[in-house]
Amino acid sequence: MGHLINIANLEKSFHGRKVLDNINLSVDKSERIAIIGPSGSGKTTLLRIISGLETPSQGIVEIQTHNIGYVFQEPRLIPWRNVEENLLFVKQDADLEDILAKIRLQGYKKHYPHQLSGGMKQRVNLARALITNPDLLIMDEAFSSLDLPIKLGIINDVLSQWQERGFTMLIVTHDLKEALLLADRIVILSSSPGQIVEDMSLDLELNRKISDPALLKLEADILHILSNVY
Amino acid sequence: MIKLQRTLLGIILFLMIWQVLAVCLDARTIIPDLGAIYNELTVIIAKKTFLAAVVSTMGKVIAALLLTLLIGLPLGFLLGINNRIFDMFRPIIMVIQAVPVISWLTLVIFAWGIGYRGPIFITFLSLFPIALLTTVSGVRNLDKNLLEMASLYRVPSWRVITDIYLGSLLPFIAAILDVTLGQAWKVILVSEYLCGNSGLGVLILAARYEVNPPKVWALTFLAVLLGLITERLVKLFLGKVAKRWAI
Repeated sequence: MGHLINIANLEKSFHGRKVLDNINLSVDKSERIAIIGPSGSGKTTLLRIISGLETPSQGIVEIQTHNIGYVFQEPRLIPWRNVEENLLFVKQDADLEDILAKIRLQGYKKHYPHQLSGGMKQRVNLARALITNPDLLIMDEAFSSLDLPIKLGIINDVLSQWQERGFTMLIVTHDLKEALLLADRIVILSSSPGQIVEDMSLDLELNRKISDPALLKLEADILHILSNVY
Repeated sequence: MIKLQRTLLGIILFLMIWQVLAVCLDARTIIPDLGAIYNELTVIIAKKTFLAAVVSTMGKVIAALLLTLLIGLPLGFLLGINNRIFDMFRPIIMVIQAVPVISWLTLVIFAWGIGYRGPIFITFLSLFPIALLTTVSGVRNLDKNLLEMASLYRVPSWRVITDIYLGSLLPFIAAILDVTLGQAWKVILVSEYLCGNSGLGVLILAARYEVNPPKVWALTFLAVLLGLITERLVKLFLGKVAKRWAI
């Protein structure tokens, strides 16, 4: 069976400045991959190329699905549309009640974005991505502005949705703990131009705790790798 | 309530200063006596010709505004999303803005003579650049992240237009209506005066021929009042639209 994503010798330059160099990456169905690396290493650019929002300068990018959900860093909700209308905007025949219950947004259907907290807006952002029933869920620094308890709550929601639906996940984050809680594989990019310097699988249970010794050990190992990359 | 009291106080103060100036300066051709203006007001309102003039002027204001919005908004949208088309149209917009109204008036009289078409066309020409350029600026100020989100989720174009573009443009459309409505009244009156055959502008022209300054002021007062009433009605409508769209 082919990979859901297959990237070979990918390069991307903006105005002559190379931001991604020689990226080779294959992703299977239902994998949960976190991409980490220093600022400017091209993590977001890589996600944008995979989702079709950018085109590569060179190389091959093959994606076996058009059904992509994208949780943006900023919620990108339509300010003059309420939660219900924002969700229906991307899928008219969606089962709203189901997704609202799963992402714990019941009772907020008629709320406008300006009436929601940052955490709630990100939940709507996530619900909008999930409502399309994606084969690939992309999360670009989606929870970076949230407090830890809210972040942990949303991470649990994402994982339970993954268990239920089995979509592939690509996560870009600065937060190593977030990556370790969500991913089963971690890809580390070097500083600009971004190149893959490490691609490691995590042998951890799905339901993890921040204080888990195995997780803490992995965190220390990755921090060591990152210290050489920065 | 206090605001209303202050407004009324301001009006009373203005009328008092007017009356003092009318008496002291003895320049009744410019500042007539308030009593004379009031008398003219009652005479004008009682005549059937006044109602016909109001309907005629109002009709022209509405026609000019509709023409402005129907052409200015879609064209502004097109020019806003496409810089190449904007560059092509820019010289035409500049010509419309730069040509003096008096030249347009002369050309309109050559083309159509005296009538209703001239005032509507002249008013349209003076409002059109405002509507067009405000819409262009509205489209250019649109949150591009929302468009990117819509393209990622393959949202149909018509939904992007109704849900994103229209919502973003509503404050700009409100601003266009706000600015153009006030201007429409002024320009219509001037162009009726110069190339119209009916309306309040023509009544002012008649008052000039009669050398009747109180009548000129009475008609001016009525025109201002009608302008303010339509402005309030439009603002009320826009307020409701803004509430519906949560903007």
